[in-house]
Amino acid sequence: MSRFVAGTAAAEGLACCHTCLKVAPESSHECPRCGAALHLRKPDSLQRTAALVATAALLYIPANLLPIMTTTQLGNATDSTIIGGVIVLLHHGDFPIAAVIFIASVMVPISKLLALTYLCWTVSRKRPTSHQERTRLYRATELVGKWSMTDVFVVAILVALIHLGGILLITPGPAAIAFGGVVVVTMVAAESFDPRLIWDQLGDSDG
Amino acid sequence: MQQPRLPTETPAHTIVSTGQAGSDLGSLPAAPVVERIACVECDLLVQIGELGEHERATCPRCGHVLTAPRPDGLTRALAYTLAACVLLVLANTFPFLQLKAKGLEQVMTLPRTAIELYRDGYGVLAVLVLGPIVGIPALILMTLLALLVPLRRPQPAPWLVPAGRFVSFLSPWSMVEVFVIGVLVSLVKIAAMATVVMGISFFAYVGFAVCFTLALSNLDTLEMWGEIEARTP
Repeated sequence: MSRFVAGTAAAEGLACCHTCLKVAPESSHECPRCGAALHLRKPDSLQRTAALVATAALLYIPANLLPIMTTTQLGNATDSTIIGGVIVLLHHGDFPIAAVIFIASVMVPISKLLALTYLCWTVSRKRPTSHQERTRLYRATELVGKWSMTDVFVVAILVALIHLGGILLITPGPAAIAFGGVVVVTMVAAESFDPRLIWDQLGDSDG
Repeated sequence: MQQPRLPTETPAHTIVSTGQAGSDLGSLPAAPVVERIACVECDLLVQIGELGEHERATCPRCGHVLTAPRPDGLTRALAYTLAACVLLVLANTFPFLQLKAKGLEQVMTLPRTAIELYRDGYGVLAVLVLGPIVGIPALILMTLLALLVPLRRPQPAPWLVPAGRFVSFLSPWSMVEVFVIGVLVSLVKIAAMATVVMGISFFAYVGFAVCFTLALSNLDTLEMWGEIEARTP
């Protein structure tokens, strides 16, 4: 009768409001408590997530190739990229800070993109992998998302603070905007993925 | 500590599907107040009984925390909101960081950061930075005040529902805790080039970040919307 697993809200035609968590019949289209649109599942979840992941992956290229900031010291301008900044910190021996920047700017965005790709792929190909583990992977993806903004904030602080005329001047580079874009787009991508799709697959194996 | 309850097997059960939990329950003598909710992460229907202090309900299938109301959660949230408001104003009025290098001095304040970025032709970056660390948190705090103060009174207020929706729409976009880490990282980066002094606003901002996070974590979505519903005609 229903394509949803018994015991779920969707199997009874009930939708859980995403804003206020009210459970109401999907046929009413609007949450009776807060007025938000009701859906059994987020609309076009996989397509939207995949499109946003692709956008973020494309933005990540200029974010790494272009300079994130330019330091002008007594007339000599030096561009630095994200990776370049990490290498300079390593040379100075600032290992903890280098690790923070590397994790926030390289590891987190890349693992987020890989995780969302993996989740979309397993759901669309109906791969029978652990539901628990994939749910945990999704939670981790949502949790770490905003931490990649660290490097953008660092650039903003340095720009605002180091403005000593011709002696020492730091200006932002185009990669800062591209990288900020990566963070925002991946956050929207994680939000548009519906983890309930993972659990809907229980119905496929039961037949 | 956890009290998950499996849904009753009978699908004929329709306790809260229409929104009036009380009327259907009236026929069941001495039944605890139950609400049937669906897990956001796996869509399992779960019945939640009355929770004791410091108890939380988790989904029996995927482990997602369904609701974790704190004792006096809404009152605490209001207290932290008020504290965060004061600290946010302080964080924006005094010097945030002060730089001393080669006889020159430079003072940085949060509003000036935005102006500086905008003047360099990086208006997008100014919004991208100041939005999640000052703008959005400020909007959230104002909305929380408009929401939590009327929730302490029994009278209904017409703006409660839009205010509740606005808070849940904005809250994923605040990045106050990330900014604190960003400041610490930049302190280390600058230390090689110049002397940096932390201003009053820096400490105010750290306090604000703590209060703001506590305000949001004391706000249980289910509890808040239950209170809003009780005051909506």
